[in-house]
Order: sequence, then structure tokens, then C-alpha cells
Amino acid sequence: MPDYLPLLLMVLIFFGLAMGFRLQIGLALALASLGGALISGHGLALRHLVEGGFGYLDTILIIATAMIFMTSLQKSGMLDAFTSFLLRAFYRHRFLLLFSMMLLTMFPGMITGSSTTAVLTTGALASPVLMKMGMSRVKTAAFIAMAGILGMIAPPVNILVMIMGAGVDMPYVGLTFPLLALVIPLAVIFTLWIGAKEVKSLTSSELEEIIASLPAGQSNFRIYLPLVLVAALLLAQNSALPFLSQLGLPLIFLLGGLLNWLLHWKKMNFFLVTQQALAEALPILAILVGVGMFIQIMTLTGGRGWIVLVFLSLPPALLYLGMGISMPLFGAVSAFGSASILGVPFILALINTNAILTSSALSAIAGLGDLMPPTALAGMFAAQVVGEKNYFRVLRHCLVPALFELVFALGFLLGGPFLAKIF
Amino acid sequence: MKTRLNFKNLNFQRGQPIFIFIMVVIICFFTGENFLSLHQEDLIIPSSGLSQQLRLSHYLPTLANTPGNTRVFLFEGKEKGGNVLILGGTHPNEPAGFIAATILIENLIIKKGRLFIIPQANLSGFTHNDAFEANPQRFSLPAQDGLRWFRYGSRLTNPIHQWPDPTTYINPSSQKLAGPESRNLNRAYPGSKEGSLTERVAWAIMQLLKTENIHLAIDLHEASPEYPVINAIVFHERAAELAAMTMMDLQMEGFDLRLEASPPNLHGLSHREWGDLTSTLAILLETANASHGRLKGKPSPQLIVKGQDANYVRAARLGRLFVPFDEEGIPLKRRVARHLASIKSLITNLAALYPSQTIKFEYFPSPQLLLKNGFKDFLQIASSSK
Repeated sequence: MPDYLPLLLMVLIFFGLAMGFRLQIGLALALASLGGALISGHGLALRHLVEGGFGYLDTILIIATAMIFMTSLQKSGMLDAFTSFLLRAFYRHRFLLLFSMMLLTMFPGMITGSSTTAVLTTGALASPVLMKMGMSRVKTAAFIAMAGILGMIAPPVNILVMIMGAGVDMPYVGLTFPLLALVIPLAVIFTLWIGAKEVKSLTSSELEEIIASLPAGQSNFRIYLPLVLVAALLLAQNSALPFLSQLGLPLIFLLGGLLNWLLHWKKMNFFLVTQQALAEALPILAILVGVGMFIQIMTLTGGRGWIVLVFLSLPPALLYLGMGISMPLFGAVSAFGSASILGVPFILALINTNAILTSSALSAIAGLGDLMPPTALAGMFAAQVVGEKNYFRVLRHCLVPALFELVFALGFLLGGPFLAKIF
Repeated sequence: MKTRLNFKNLNFQRGQPIFIFIMVVIICFFTGENFLSLHQEDLIIPSSGLSQQLRLSHYLPTLANTPGNTRVFLFEGKEKGGNVLILGGTHPNEPAGFIAATILIENLIIKKGRLFIIPQANLSGFTHNDAFEANPQRFSLPAQDGLRWFRYGSRLTNPIHQWPDPTTYINPSSQKLAGPESRNLNRAYPGSKEGSLTERVAWAIMQLLKTENIHLAIDLHEASPEYPVINAIVFHERAAELAAMTMMDLQMEGFDLRLEASPPNLHGLSHREWGDLTSTLAILLETANASHGRLKGKPSPQLIVKGQDANYVRAARLGRLFVPFDEEGIPLKRRVARHLASIKSLITNLAALYPSQTIKFEYFPSPQLLLKNGFKDFLQIASSSK
């Protein structure tokens, strides 16, 4: 059986179950993986299904605990208080507000290398402000999704580059300026493209009307303490402090949630908060488990190697096109996987170019994988944060900025020899 | 209406929690035994020349009773001479190093000097496989009375033993790396006495180098055929002359080999930190392993042992590889023979350069015999079971 056939059948089974039978995406992926194993003669392949299913355990824990943290902030009234604060600060200056919201949303991504963390934390803080200033719900979600992706590729922490660097023995040094040169123009363009027409400056009376519509809550410093704790611990992740640098994101979010509960234990049932957060996150977590199984079986049946080889077989003129198509597409299973599986061979295929510039540009392309369904982590969580049920509506508004990012990154790759003289 | 703590909040259908629970129990039952079986140590039967079998905790007592407490085999001659360390299994998904070290342990006799061999440097890495790589858990080689089974592990320490990964890993040499690299032994040097399991293993190996006054240390690796540093001797600058002499020897023996200087700004790796922080001559050897690569076809024990892969043949024709790769593939016996030939030449040349550091040996496994007859002559006893 040719290596591509089990993969093709797995994709058909997945679409049949997800579209035809309206099965949950996570379950459809798991069953397609099981089908792939059976078709290719590996039997039930339980070991592989479990191994693949656990592949995203860390990501799953980050998402679950970040959701718990944000739900607890919502219950304590901190989100509303913060929205009021930001509105009062920026209501007259819409561009200042937009750029501040872009930077605010990018920040956790910059220090964790994860778009999901950015969208679920400061993205959730920025979205009510943007909506109150007139931005539609889906455009707000698109705004924070794109900000999350830019945060993921911005310095100081770009895990995609680190993964590619590990594959070609490139130390993670000298990347700040190339990454900033990629991210800053994109951040400006995305902010204006998505937000300029939607957000309007407010008068004082409009501001008071909006603030009056927010639930009344505490506005003392105490309610911000959990956020301060999480921000401090996130920053400590990049330090060489022996204990604080090794806490891991799940524990940091859980500590933030627990502190919030201790401060508001009279009006908050922490177990209920965790249950509500998990109920919301469960379908997405199931997708990650299903995707893990899918990749494992795809590799087991030879499909992964076949895909990598197909793109590496492209003639030099089409190689850049192959990068632009394959890396975001592979991001449908995982942006980090895309960086490792495709990014490393692509860097090696361009061995005569500057590896720092190449990996920076490829990370911007791979990062777009977080907008690729069925996982589309950035788009899906952004939709969840603004309360939009259909995340495809959000992705539609991300399409133009994403294409622009793709073209910009490819230009960065092609202009590598010239840019190498600057950086 | 006040929401209560209730299963209904999780949107389960009636009976779903019980069904899911039963499924989890069944899956754990059938897979648990399989995963746990990887914690059994591989069979290694030392030759009569073995002087002492230690554990790494000899150099760092806090490693005792941990999954990092790997075996250290010491072969000591009657005469004083050089001290050499050979490290296999730093990355348990690069089997040529592990097998070359095992074959040495099972055959070699030392007459002069001391040879330390650690066949499974990251022992924890042998207890699991990398998710998404779908690699086999074991492979077998022919022994004289049957098959000998060996574990094929992961590049990284088992997360069961070291978890969670930090977001970014700042290693003991202050190099910033992706979080999972915190479980990569060859990024953790010089290690830390109170650090993570991987860092403690690295620290204990550094202690061994210092306390045993190791003159030459060789770290055995493999890389994917699309990786540029391959079929290579990576050398610390103090070992440049030794590496150059060895390259010439190997080329005369028919092994294509290139020299790669250890990059001075790439910290945490054995060839850099061993050389910088101890008096040893630090060497790392790389061979080409198709089962290790991103272009590999279906992963299987045959791919590990025979090293044949149609994807790599095609990639070679496209000029995407850094080694020649045809339908014959690059079998494990050739990769192990290359390591053995390099080790023999390095030890011989060490004596030529520094006569007081001479090691004299007998029954060194012949690389040419290995290429001709396979593993049977060098592995006497089969495993009793898989």
C-alpha cells in the first residue's frame, strides 16, 4: 500500500464523520486515526493512539488552567473593572487605544511563545474594551487572534525558532532585531486594517453610559493581585531563577486562580469555576487529543514522511510557494509540529542563506498554523473569548491579515541576502 | 438561578461518564503493561575483562535510586596508562552508539590503561518513545543462540521522571533553548548538582571526567541523513590534531568522514563543555540514521537495523541529503562499525600523541568483521524474551 493511501483514507473518514455525521471534531479525529491504523494493518494500535493522544498533554493543561484562571477573573469582577479602567484611560484616543490593545494582547505571547496564552489572558482583557469602543464581536476576535500570533513570533521568546534552531544547531541568539523587523510592521498594519474603521473615539457622556452598563464591582487594587502574580511569574519564566523559572504555565495559571479564590472565597466556589471552565474548554481539548492520535498514526503509516518529501521535491522556484502552503497547512495539526517537521528541512534546503533570517521568516509562516482548522487554536479561543460560537466567522476576518503576513514573511525570505547585510 | 457543582455542568449525556470511565480502565489495562515493560534494563553481558561495574551515583550519590542511575563499566589493565570514557545512549533514539558501546563491553579486554564505558547515558530516555514519531519500542539483532532485543527510546528524558518542562530552558551554560530541551542530556552540560534529573546526570558525568582524570572522552551519536553534521568527528579545539589523524585513518579504512569544529557559541553540548571545563580531549561522533529523520517512511525495527528507506533514496536524488543514500541504505552494522573504527583509531592516535596515555587492548571488535558477518560474532547470548 502506498504511503499516502492510509493518510488519504484517514482524511476521508474524518470529513465523513465530522461533516456527514456531525460528530465532534475530536472524536472524528480519534476514529479516523483508529481507521488508519486498521486499514494499514497495524490493528487497534492502542499503544500509538495513547502515545499520540498524550502528545499534547502540556498544551492541554495550559489551556485548561488558563481557562480556569480567566473564568475566576470574570467571577471576581476583575475583567469588568479592568475594562472600565482602560476605557477611562483611552476613550478619546482610538488609535492609541488600538495600538495599546494590540501590544497588551501580544505581551503574554511574547514571553511564553504561545498564541493561546495571549488570547486567553490579555486577549480576554482587551476584547471587552474593543467591543465597547464599537468593534464588532467577530472583528474583535480576529484582532486578538492576530495579536496572539504576532506575540507568538515576537521576541524575546519565539519557541518556533527555538524548535527549528535545535534541529540545525543554531543557538537562540541574534534574533531580536530580525523578529522585531517582522513583527512591528505587521502589528501596525493589522491594527489599522482590522480596527481603524470600526473603533471610534467616545465623548464623556458616551463613556459614562458604557461604564454604567457594566456590572458594578470592586475597583480596588486587591482584585488585580492575581493578574499581577501571574504576570510576575510569567516574567520569571525567562529568568535563571532556579525555582521560579521551572514552575510551568499550568501551575502559574492555577496559582493565579487560587489566589483569586482566596481573595474572593465568600462569593466564589472554586470547584464550580473549574468545572465551568472545563465545560467550555472540553471540545477544544478533545480536538488536541484527537490531533495527537492523528499525527501519530499518520507517521506510523508513512504519511508524514510522504508529505515532507512532496514539498521538498518541489523545484527551487516553487520551493518558497511550498513553504507558504505546507507550513500553515501542517499547522492544522500543530504550529510547533510544523516548525519541527517542515521548518527544519526547509532551513536545510536553504542552507546557503542566513539561518537566523530564514528561521525568523519561517516562524512567521508556521505561526499562521494556529489559524488553520480544525485546531485553529488562536481563532477558536478568540471566538470563545468574545462569545462567538462559529469560529469560522472569526477566521474569515483573519484571512487578509494572514495572507499579508504570509507574503511579508516570504518577502523576508527572498530578501534574506540583502537583509543579512543590515542585521 | 444559582449554578451548583454538578456533572450536568460538563454537558455529558446520560451514561457517558460511566462509559468513558470503563473505556479508560480498559485502555490503561492493555497499554499500561506495554509502557511499563520499557522500564526493564537491557541485557548486557560484560566480557571477562570487566574490572568493575559501577553506577553513575558513584559520582553523585543523590542519583542513587533514580531513573538516571545508569551503569558504568570499568575495564582496567594491569599497567597504568591512559584513561578513556566512551558514552553511548546519550540520545536513546540513536542506537548505533548504544550498540557500539555494548559490543565493546561484551568483547574487550584491556591490558594497559583504563576504559570507562557508559552504554546508556540517558537511561530514563530508554523508558519511553517520542510522541508523534511512532517509532518501534524495540529492535532485535542476531546473537549466537537467537535474537537479542534492545530498547529504542527517546531523545529526551522521560517526562514521567522530569516534568513539567519550563517554557524556555536556560541551561547551566546560560544558553536559551526551547522548553523540552531541558530533558536533552546533550544540552545540559556541565549539569547541576541540585538541578533536574537530566542536569544531575550531566553533572555526574562531568565529575567522572574530573575525578578519573579522563584523557579522552568520546560521545557516540547519530543524526538524520538530512542533517549537515553527519558522518563526522566533532572536536573540541584541543582535540583538533587527534581528530585530523583519526579522519585520515578512517578514510584509509573506507569510511568517509569529515571534521567539524565544535562551535564556540553553542553551549551545553558535550564536545564544548567537556573540553572547556575539564582537561579531557572531547570528541563527538555522528553517523547517519534514517529512522531518526523527518523524511522517514513507515517506522519499523527493519528501518532501524537495515537502514533502508525509499523516501531517503528519493531525497538523495533530489540533493537534499548530506550523505550518499541508495537502495542499500545505511544499515546499523555499518553505523556501528564506523563508530568502532573511529574509537579504535582515536585510542591508537592518543597513544601516538601522548605515549603516557596509551591504552593497550585485546579482542577489540573488528569493524571489518562486523561489516562482513554482522552482529552474531559479537553478541553471544540472546535475550530470554522481548
